[in-house]
Amino acid sequence: MKKITNCILVSLLLLVGKAMAQMPHDAIYMGKGAVCVATMYGKSTWSDYWENSLKRSNFNIGTHTTQNIMVMPAIGITNRLNVILSLPYVWTQTSAGNLLGQKGFQDLSGWLKYRVLNTHGFSLHAVAGASLPIGNYVPDFMPMSIGLQCRTVSGRLIASYKHPQTGLYATAHGTYMWRSNIKSDRDAYQADDRVYNTDEISVPNAYDMGLRLGILRKKWQTELWAERTSCTHGDYIRRHDMPFPTNNMQATTVGWYGKFQPNKIGVNARVGYVTDGRNVGQSTSYSVGVLYLFKL
Amino acid sequence: MKTSINQIKRAGWVLGLATLLVACDKTIDEPQRDSYVPVSTDEKAGTWKTYQLSSATEIPVAEPKAVSSPEYIAELASLKKQSANLTKEQREAVEYWGAGAVYRWNEIARELSARYNIPPAYNAEGKYPVPDAANPLADPKFPFANPPYTSRALAYLSVAQYDALVAAWNYKYQFKRPAPSRTDATIKAALPVSDIPTYPSEDAVVAAASFTVLKAMFPGEVPFLEAKMKQHRESRLWAGMNVESDLLAGADLGNAVAAKVMARAKTDGMGAANNQTLTAGMIAKAKERGLREAWVSQELPVRPPMLPNYGAVLPWNFDLATVVALRAVPPPALDSEEFKQNLEELRKIQKNQTREQARIANYWSDGAGSYTPPGHWHRTAANVSHEARHSEVRMARTLALLGTSQMDAAIVCWDTKYYYYYPRPQQFGVKTSVGLPNFPSYTSGHSTFSGAAATVLAYLFPDQAETFQKQAEEASVSRIYGLIHYRFDCEVGLKAGEEVGKYAIARARADGATL
Repeated sequence: MKKITNCILVSLLLLVGKAMAQMPHDAIYMGKGAVCVATMYGKSTWSDYWENSLKRSNFNIGTHTTQNIMVMPAIGITNRLNVILSLPYVWTQTSAGNLLGQKGFQDLSGWLKYRVLNTHGFSLHAVAGASLPIGNYVPDFMPMSIGLQCRTVSGRLIASYKHPQTGLYATAHGTYMWRSNIKSDRDAYQADDRVYNTDEISVPNAYDMGLRLGILRKKWQTELWAERTSCTHGDYIRRHDMPFPTNNMQATTVGWYGKFQPNKIGVNARVGYVTDGRNVGQSTSYSVGVLYLFKL
Repeated sequence: MKTSINQIKRAGWVLGLATLLVACDKTIDEPQRDSYVPVSTDEKAGTWKTYQLSSATEIPVAEPKAVSSPEYIAELASLKKQSANLTKEQREAVEYWGAGAVYRWNEIARELSARYNIPPAYNAEGKYPVPDAANPLADPKFPFANPPYTSRALAYLSVAQYDALVAAWNYKYQFKRPAPSRTDATIKAALPVSDIPTYPSEDAVVAAASFTVLKAMFPGEVPFLEAKMKQHRESRLWAGMNVESDLLAGADLGNAVAAKVMARAKTDGMGAANNQTLTAGMIAKAKERGLREAWVSQELPVRPPMLPNYGAVLPWNFDLATVVALRAVPPPALDSEEFKQNLEELRKIQKNQTREQARIANYWSDGAGSYTPPGHWHRTAANVSHEARHSEVRMARTLALLGTSQMDAAIVCWDTKYYYYYPRPQQFGVKTSVGLPNFPSYTSGHSTFSGAAATVLAYLFPDQAETFQKQAEEASVSRIYGLIHYRFDCEVGLKAGEEVGKYAIARARADGATL
C-alpha cells in the first residue's frame, strides 16, 4: 500500500440556486483500504444572470448567494476501484428583494470509479454515478431552491496523461447524466410555452466536458480547469420570468484547484468563475476543505 | 476479498441499471378527458336566461334544408368521404375536441392566460413600459394577464359561450335536425352520438364565440387561435358528427352573439382600470381615514400598482353601488395590538415554515406564469362539469356563473384594496416563499376569488360542497403560509367572496335551468 494516497474532490458546479455535486473527474485513486474524508465549505454568488441569452441584473435579487457544507468520503476498494460519496447541506439567500431563502440537506451522491487502463503515464477511467434527493426541499422555487429533486444516473469517461518524473498532467472528461422527472407542489405549470396539467415535471438530461492541466506531487497538487455543462434540450427563462427546472441551463466555467496534504490531515481549495451561460447565474464560487486520511 | 469486490461491482451495476431505467422515463402523464353522451339533452335550454342577448331569438338562424333534400343528401355524401380513412393526426384531433367544445376552449383560454401572465420588465430608464394592445408581441407583451385581467377574459369567454349556446339550443329544438349518422347509417361517427339535434352545430357555435372573445383578449395569438378554430371545425367533419351546413350556421351564430357580448367589454370601464393618476388621491383619502403608512411597491425600481381603478369596472351579477356595499370593514390600525399579533404570526411562520405549509402555499400560489386563481377555479369547474357529463350548454352555464363570480370578486376585492391602501407584511421586513404581488394587502384576492368560487360551485354541485369549501379555506390560508397576507386579509376576503358568490347563485336560481 502506498504510504500517501491521494484524495478525490468533487467540484461544485453552481448553477442557479443549486449546488450540483459534480462527479469525480480526475485520474487519482485511493489505495486499497484507504479512506479520505473531505469536509468542505463552499460559497457561490452571482449578481448577473442569463435570462435565456440576455445577460442582466435584477434589483429585486441583488446578489444571490448559495452556501454549502459537504462531507465527502472516498474509499479505496482496490487500487483501481474507488467509491466516492457526498452529501451537502445547502442554504440560499439574496441581498435584495423579499424571496425567502431555502435551506436543507440536498442529494446523496455516489460514484464508482474504475481504472480501465494504465500504461506509460496514460490512463483511461470509467465512472458510474447516481444521486438521490435526501431532503424534501421545494425544487421549483427558483432561484431560491437548493436543488432539483431529480434522481440521477451518470456515466463518465476520463482520459489522462501524467508525466511520471515531473507530475505534470492533463486530464479530459465527458459525462452524460440521466435525470428523472420530478414532482411539483402545484398540479399545473407552464413550460415549453404550454400548460401541463399535472404535478410531474420532465427535467432534461445533461452532459458536461472538462479539461484540466496541473501538477500532482506526493504532497501537493495545483490545477487549472475549464468545464462546459449543458442540458440536452429544455426551454428557456422567458422575459422577466423566473427560472424553472425545465430550462436548458448551460455554463462554461474556468477555475483553479489546489491541494496540500503533507500527511493524514490536508487542505484543499477551489475557485471557479462562469464565463458564459444560458438560464444560469454568472457565478463566482470558491470552496475550502479539510481532508482526513485513514486506513480501514 | 476478490469475490466480495466482484459482488460489490455486480451490485453496483444492477443498482445503476435499475436507477437508469427510472431516470430515463421522461413521459408526463396528464389526465385524459374523454367524450361522452351528456346525462341530459337539456332540451329546454333555449329558454334559459341569457346575459347579453335580449332573447334566444335575437340573432336569427335560417331554417335548414330538410334531411330528404338533395342538398342535405349531398352534404351527407361529402361527410361520409371526409370521415373515412382518418390519419393518426385527424383521429387525435377528433379525440381532443371530443372532450368538449366548452371544455377545450376554456382550457385554451387558461393556457393563454398563463402564457401572458408575466409583469413587464423595467427598461434602461428604470420605467415599466405599459403593454400596448396595438403591438401585442413587443416587449412587454400585451396583455399582462394578471388575476383581474384573466378573471375578465374568462368571464367574457364563458358568457359568450353560454349566450351563444342558449340561442343554439333554441334553434336546435326548433328545427330538430338529427345527427348525420342517424339519417345515414353508413356514416360512422367517431364520437358518441346523443339525441341533441345538430343544427346549428354547438361545436361551431362555441369555436366562433370563443375565437371572437379570445382574439380581443389576446390579440397577439390570432394565428394560434385560428389554427385551433380550423382544427376544431374540421374535427367535426372527420368525426362524422356535423355536416357543412351545421357548422356554417353555428359559426355565424357564434360570431354574432360574441360580437354582442364584446360590445359590453368595450364599455365596461376596463379602459380606465389602470388609471395611475388616481392613486395619489386614493392614498390621501386612506390617510384621512387614519391609515398611518400607505402601501408602497416593494419592487425596485418602484412599480406602479396593478390596475388601481379595476374596482370601478362594471360587475356582472350586481351594480356598482353594490360593490361599495360589499366593501370590507376597515382593517386593524397599524399600531393596534391586533395588527401586531397578526404580523407576529407571520414572523413565526417565516422562522419555522413547515414543509406542509410550504406545499399549501405553493399549490395555491397561482402567481406569475400561471393562469391565476380565477383560472384555477375555472379549471376545477370545467373538470367537475365534465365529470358530471354535462351537455355543452350546461357546462357553459356552470362556467358563466363561476366566471362572472370571479370577475365580480376581482372588482369587489380591488375596490377594497385601493380604498384602504393597506401595506403588505413585506413593508415590515417579512420575506415570501411564493413571490409578492404588486398591490395593497387588504383584502386577499385569493381568498375573495376562492370564497366566491366555492360558494357558486357548492350550489351547482351540492354533493361536493364540502370539498369546495375546504379548498377555498386552504387557498385562503395559503397566503398566510406564503407570508404575503395577514390572517385578517384572508378571513375577511373569504367572507366577501362568499357574499359575491351569492349574487351569482341568485341569478342561477332564476335563469330557468334549475340544478
